[in-house]
Amino acid sequence: MDVIDVPRPKSVRDPNRPVSSLLLAQVKHLREAEKSLPPQYHSGIFSHAIQTESEAARYIQSVTEAIHAAHDDASAARVRRVPKRKRGIEIAAVADHAAERKAKKKSRSKKKGSPSKHKK
Amino acid sequence: MPPGLDQLKHIVVLMMENRSFDHMLGSLKAVNSAIDGYIDSDPFTNPDTNKNPVKPQALAEFQGQLNPDPDHHFPAVDVQIYGGQTGSGRVANMQGFVTSYFHQRGDVDHSQKIMYYFKQSDLPVLTTLALQFAVFNRWFASIPGPTICNRAFAHYGTSFGRVDMDPFDVIEPIKSIYTRLVTATPKHSAKVYYYDTSSSTMEVANLLQHQTEVFGMYSQFLSDCDKGLLPDYSFVEPNYSDHDTDEGEAVASDQHPDHDVQAGEQLVAEVYTHIKNGPEWASTALLVVYDEHGGIFDHVVPPACKPDRFPCSQVDPGTGQPFKFDRLGVRVPAILISPWIPKGTVVNRVFDHASVPATISKFFLGGSPDVSSREANADVFIEPNNGQGNLANNLLSLDVMRNDCPSFRIRK
Repeated sequence: MDVIDVPRPKSVRDPNRPVSSLLLAQVKHLREAEKSLPPQYHSGIFSHAIQTESEAARYIQSVTEAIHAAHDDASAARVRRVPKRKRGIEIAAVADHAAERKAKKKSRSKKKGSPSKHKK
Repeated sequence: MPPGLDQLKHIVVLMMENRSFDHMLGSLKAVNSAIDGYIDSDPFTNPDTNKNPVKPQALAEFQGQLNPDPDHHFPAVDVQIYGGQTGSGRVANMQGFVTSYFHQRGDVDHSQKIMYYFKQSDLPVLTTLALQFAVFNRWFASIPGPTICNRAFAHYGTSFGRVDMDPFDVIEPIKSIYTRLVTATPKHSAKVYYYDTSSSTMEVANLLQHQTEVFGMYSQFLSDCDKGLLPDYSFVEPNYSDHDTDEGEAVASDQHPDHDVQAGEQLVAEVYTHIKNGPEWASTALLVVYDEHGGIFDHVVPPACKPDRFPCSQVDPGTGQPFKFDRLGVRVPAILISPWIPKGTVVNRVFDHASVPATISKFFLGGSPDVSSREANADVFIEPNNGQGNLANNLLSLDVMRNDCPSFRIRK
């Protein structure tokens, strides 16, 4: 089959095109999403004043990236918390060592044949 | 088992914006009479507000013609489908498109442009794919309404009672198709690829807020196609706006009026070409489908369907009567592409966007336990390969993979 040419669009790119009801709905959804983000992730853009496609795109980009960043930061914080758990394991290990030392000491004192002394 | 189904590992859905079947593919009836489009001798017309009949004409333009954006919210679509009739005994007749568009500008001549359609030669990508693979004569929007609630059906199999553009809440136990896949045992992979962060996704309220990990960007999709890294299920969103990027300028490719239809043609060609030229062509099926008709004419009456389990969130959605999700929206273009599909396949069974999660669930998971009644009753466009499929409906039916599939040269 022949290769079919797909013509280059003749359209005039117009980022100042008035924003459509679809993009306004998307902005509205993102505005709701932005409310649930911690303040440091807020865009600082007054979304009610958006009138053009490029303005909508700027806001959409800002909140989309903020949502990703908030999730990424939460994941990173989760990872950073892991050492605490590790410390817990180390404590358990120390406890185990202590028990081990105690057991060795006990067995040593048994060998020496001085249980009373061990009791002290 | 047919080898096409046996080999199938990846399903990709590309959902475009706001164009009707007759507007985009109606011209193909002249080429293949099995395609339920429009030819000049057909009697279908719409009255204008002077009561003159307006015939469909092949005068559609890529941009600048449908301005303002034709109304496609629930009340307007009701006018388009019922011709402005109200009351309980009304009959759908597809007679209200011109009247509805007239309401926006009050200009009789301009209102007639809602009846324009594209010549086959205007849309070399979409029409070629429709003629070369499987075109659906009866794929309808899920709701006679706008984008967000219709796209919700593609993600969840329901809009949870919404017929508008407002954010909706996911109601348990229903889960998105992505959650179903990634939490399954064995686990499956799924991604929503949006164009870039300035275009983002139309499924913000639930997916983007809570499951950022299922999202990727269009550049990654192309790379995944090229490297053979496609997930089991991919949902691709077009670019929804003209905007600046780090690399330069991005032009909207969603085909939403008044965005350039040719830019959307390029997007469809690019998605197809990267899949076809990648290592997973034999094991991938691509569905190109439009979310809703965008207020543009179509001659096929949307059928009734079994009601959804969720009641409409509005007692009166603007039509003077309740809606039970018991009628589909206006017909949209839909094409299934795979090298295992016979050239010139025309599908006459009824589908809507609930067919997307229904198909993905049944194909990859053997079904899902908790789905909406609309999804439970939706037909599937790819039969499951677990022995439970109806092989008489299998569209990937060839015994030998085609090597005559079309190629596109994209002029940038």
